[in-house]
Amino acid sequence: MKSAVLHAKPGAESAQPGVSQYLTFVLGGETYAVGILRIKEIIEYGALTSVPMMPSFIRGVINLRGAVVPVVDLQARFGKTSTQVARRTCIVILEIESNGESQDIGVLVDAVNAVLDIAEADIEPPPSFGTGIRPDFVEGMGKIDGRFVIILDLSRVLSIDELARLASASQQECESAF
Amino acid sequence: MNEFDQARQTFFDESRDMLREIEDALLVLESGGGDAETLNGLFRAAHTIKGSAGLFGYEDVVAFTHEVETVLDRLRAGELAFGEELAGLMLACADHVSSLLAELESGNTGETADRDRGTGLVTRLRSLYATPEATTRAASPAVEASSDAPASGPCRWRIDVRFGADVFRNGMDPLSFIRYLGTRGELVRVVTRLFDVPPADRFDAETCHLALDILVHTTASREELEKVFDFVRDDCTLVLTRVTEGAPSVETTGTGAVPTEGGTEPVVAPEVVNVAMTRQKEQRAEEARFIRVQADKLDELISLVGELVIAGAGATLVARQIRHMGMLEATQSISDLVEEIRNSALQLRMVQIGDTFARFRRVVRDVSHDLGKEIELEIRGADTELDKSVVEKIADPLMHLVRNAMDHGIETGDERAAAGKPRAGHLRLNAYHDSGSIVIEVQDDGRGLDRARILRKAVERGIVPENTELPEDEVFGLIFMPGFSTAETVTNLSGRGVGMDVVKRNIESLRGTVHVASTPGAGTKMAIRLPLTLAIIDGFLVTVGRSSYVIPLDMVVECIELPADIPAHAQHFNLRGEVLPFLRMRDVFQVEDSVAGHESVVVVRNGTSRAGLVVDRLLGELQAVIKPLGRIFRDLQGIGGSTILGSGEVALILDVPALIARATRNSTLAGPATAGIPRSPGRLLTEIPSSLERE
Amino acid sequence: MERVPYVVAGEFTIYQVAEQKAPLLAMAADADEPELDLGGVTEFDAAGMQLVLVAEQLARDAGKSLRLVAASPAVAEAFRVAGLDDRLPREVSA
Repeated sequence: MKSAVLHAKPGAESAQPGVSQYLTFVLGGETYAVGILRIKEIIEYGALTSVPMMPSFIRGVINLRGAVVPVVDLQARFGKTSTQVARRTCIVILEIESNGESQDIGVLVDAVNAVLDIAEADIEPPPSFGTGIRPDFVEGMGKIDGRFVIILDLSRVLSIDELARLASASQQECESAF
Repeated sequence: MNEFDQARQTFFDESRDMLREIEDALLVLESGGGDAETLNGLFRAAHTIKGSAGLFGYEDVVAFTHEVETVLDRLRAGELAFGEELAGLMLACADHVSSLLAELESGNTGETADRDRGTGLVTRLRSLYATPEATTRAASPAVEASSDAPASGPCRWRIDVRFGADVFRNGMDPLSFIRYLGTRGELVRVVTRLFDVPPADRFDAETCHLALDILVHTTASREELEKVFDFVRDDCTLVLTRVTEGAPSVETTGTGAVPTEGGTEPVVAPEVVNVAMTRQKEQRAEEARFIRVQADKLDELISLVGELVIAGAGATLVARQIRHMGMLEATQSISDLVEEIRNSALQLRMVQIGDTFARFRRVVRDVSHDLGKEIELEIRGADTELDKSVVEKIADPLMHLVRNAMDHGIETGDERAAAGKPRAGHLRLNAYHDSGSIVIEVQDDGRGLDRARILRKAVERGIVPENTELPEDEVFGLIFMPGFSTAETVTNLSGRGVGMDVVKRNIESLRGTVHVASTPGAGTKMAIRLPLTLAIIDGFLVTVGRSSYVIPLDMVVECIELPADIPAHAQHFNLRGEVLPFLRMRDVFQVEDSVAGHESVVVVRNGTSRAGLVVDRLLGELQAVIKPLGRIFRDLQGIGGSTILGSGEVALILDVPALIARATRNSTLAGPATAGIPRSPGRLLTEIPSSLERE
Repeated sequence: MERVPYVVAGEFTIYQVAEQKAPLLAMAADADEPELDLGGVTEFDAAGMQLVLVAEQLARDAGKSLRLVAASPAVAEAFRVAGLDDRLPREVSA
């Protein structure tokens, strides 16, 4: 069905101490990074079933080898316009822990770049503004080749409780509208 | 889960089964039924719990069940009579063991309340067996009922070992274990016995039938003592019990030898004899016929078979596309086989409802005592099978219906006598299969539902408008409305904060329905209809916009074309002279792109009435393997789950009652209620499905 | 009828019990006053002991009592270890 572009090995720690690996990807022209440990795999964008009455950042669900996995549009989640599907559009499958259970969630990104080492020393605390997204979504600013990339705090960005709450609110809006 | 945890889990599961057996046996005995075998069964079950608990070092459980066993043995020996009081005590003991186990399982040990209750029960048990002939014997040693904390200094351990049949053949000599144990401490007493020896002609001298009961005074820890038996650990039953220091000892002088069986009665602690007797009777022949499998392994298998079904459908699709006859035939026969495999796999998860029903014997007994009513319980169709996951979830709703029937349905003895009925009320649990569903009935011969009173209450509570005319069926359905209670007096049973609305919701979450039939003065019958399995659904595939949806087939009445002359804003049309309200799924789901071609209407059951769902295209029937939607969608109403189609595409499964409830809620909010449609918030009576009425 | 004890000598272990079973049990069942002489047993284990216990039980079931008239040191030690001292002949157990 969809070919796996990259398989992250679980527990992929970089050899040096104090250095972790991050996946960088592009979203609306901005580069973001996420820690590689949460990433299960990256797949090409494919047949997606939209779920009615959902907020725009919930794109729908996909069939991931028999499991039904929700796909979140990160751009829309950041309050920006929805991601337009293009040739390099990918779905990054992440494992999110919530209340002791883990749940797979896919996020839609424009393109994945690379897996990079970022030393702890090269990570700055998040600024109070200026990243263009909610401050609590930012785990830190990683310095790569003299440029800063936003390291996302996935537990906030993809908080199951918050997503469920927003989904439910969206449904109620639809209800009163129709 | 590691191996130890698995073994532990098995222990808890098995112990629960045993406790259920104990409870059943006690109830049978209490009602005057049962025979020697019932008592033996009781004994065996208690003993198995004790033995296994010992293996895991659960001293509290061992110590307590030991006391229970002692009393059971007196019963078996005819030294005690089984009466109601004893039954009550034994049931309380079973409950205590159950709560001890629950604590151990959850890891919250050491509840003081439990300990106090345990001590109280032990005192009562001991007072029972302090009968004249028992007091002439040596007093039973106090078995330490506290924790397994490491003892400072030497202490006494009782070691019960029953060797496995192949111990000799495996080159093991049980005597060498005793000798070795003698090097680890002082052997206070050794008793060697035979057990399960068949008649001489069938006795095989190479098969081990030896059991040891050893009292040892040692500084060794439990682990060290267990190590002694390391070589035979897999091939013996080993129970270690720490005996309190300073308690009257069993026999400190001499070496208390006990003749094997039937010899002259020696002076020996009753417990020694008890253990000896039990061990000989203990036999779990059933074990060999069943394999205990973890439920999630089974789920994994079923899920894989589900994948196979989907993959098979995919292959068939391809074969159809390339129009290859040979290929089509091949995929067809594969599909047929996969279908069979799936049915067999699902069959593995099927369990009889009898166990669930049997639990109600206890409930009926206790509750009828509390209520001061005489109630007989009749169980029918105990061998009716349904999916384990359904069984687990139906127990609570069923409990509520049973309690409700006892509480509100069945009258007191005096009331019954006055009405010319037998004093004892009759409650029947019945289960049977009916066209792909299982029907579970709770039927009482009580006073029946009072139609006028229900309606009055519903009006009082604003659930229905005044002067509402409702068919009888729907009136009875009102009792499932939130906040509805017809009980004039709230007893401790019904005032538990859980209403019939919760019962209904639980049943609906299992894709089931509940239907009430009642005759004043003659009784009430609640019938729950459930799918046999939650893993698979027969559905009807439709499309709305670019997405596919599955409508559960049992909701579908018929499919028709949307009449061409319907105005765009219409919400109902005339279907063969009847008003058919309908929902345009495009509007509901806010699909924006335009319709290609002619729309269709799927007419679905909506309680006793019908409703239409307007969809783009009808794709036909399918069997869908249900996949849960993620927790993000947990509050989503109108979508019950998902499935994967042969093409690999995900299709959403519609929750028709929820969709209609939403629509009804909206139309109620939007304008004045039409006659017969209640103005209340919450769930509506129009959605009470009564599929039992189906022909 | 003169009482002739049933004699087992040499090794009496798991390796001999199968062949010893039939004659020993027959003796226990048939003799009026079954007696067993284990004075010549050089090696004795739990399998041998089990057979003796079964014979004893068989005799008891028939309302008789199987008497151990002689026990070698190996047998005596085993019976003591197993807490079955009372089975031993007086002169040995004393």
